[in-house]
Amino acid sequence: MLRYQENNELHRNFHGSTDNAMRFVEKTCGREALKEVLRKTGRDVYKSIREKLARGDASELIEHLCWFYYRENAPFKLEVSENEIRFEVLACPAHVHMKKMGLEPAPFNCLQTEEVNAGMCEGTPWTSTVEHIGPDHCVQIFRKEPSK
Amino acid sequence: MIPSDHFVRFYNEVFKCLEPKGLLQTYFDDIGRYAASRNLEKFKKGGLQAVYDYYLVIRKEENCEMDMELNDGEFHQRMNKCPSLSKVLNNDASASPSYCLHCPGWTLPVYTAAGLYQVYNLKEPDQPHCESWLYDDPKRALARYRKLLETVPASRIRTNLPKSLLEE
Repeated sequence: MLRYQENNELHRNFHGSTDNAMRFVEKTCGREALKEVLRKTGRDVYKSIREKLARGDASELIEHLCWFYYRENAPFKLEVSENEIRFEVLACPAHVHMKKMGLEPAPFNCLQTEEVNAGMCEGTPWTSTVEHIGPDHCVQIFRKEPSK
Repeated sequence: MIPSDHFVRFYNEVFKCLEPKGLLQTYFDDIGRYAASRNLEKFKKGGLQAVYDYYLVIRKEENCEMDMELNDGEFHQRMNKCPSLSKVLNNDASASPSYCLHCPGWTLPVYTAAGLYQVYNLKEPDQPHCESWLYDDPKRALARYRKLLETVPASRIRTNLPKSLLEE
């Protein structure tokens, strides 16, 4: 069950606003401060996902990934095993939309995925990584320490 | 990716990072430049009608519960339920007390550059309601500002009317 139910109209231009906010924080406060804001977003805003991961329940994380990428018409592949979730995004909807707006994503735009995912996993048996296959194509990987 | 649905909750975290560093207004100016790059020419050319048309799209895409009236040189917006602040309040992270300031923070510089005058009643920072009036005639904006001051503390009003007019 998702903590934040979103079923209304989408305002995709917010991807441009996210990129703009990231650029501003990076320019004025530095890369580490930007990473901390993103990680805090993952940790605090997605507290419900994080607390479930800590209890060994990845259901909200999986639902979150599938629902929000589906809502944004992104082609994706999901593979779930006991200790690993692989979520492959074949065309990042944020990048696709920004390019439609005539905007080029910041070179560090993908930090939003890397750090928010890391924040969701903080203090849980899960860790996250992102494999970048191409400019708009990545695999988000969540791995759980095997149970002893 | 931060879903576009969740941008405002990230935005709120950005405000909480920037405010203690004294960078909030600098950020609002930056948002204003970003918004201007996308809308200023339309607003300059089309005036109040162009702003009204812009908000017709925003009202739909951002799921605003907002009344809008454009009549005889006045564009009045009454936000009955702001979707942005509503999401920030419906949030496991705390809300920035300055969250609402971002709206006039970016609109005032853009309207100033477009030759339009806004009077903005922020109302309460923990309630998703606000109200604003926009004019192309500064005298009408001044009259609205003075009328609003009769019932609303100055600290809750934002305007881009020149100081020289406000001090008349």
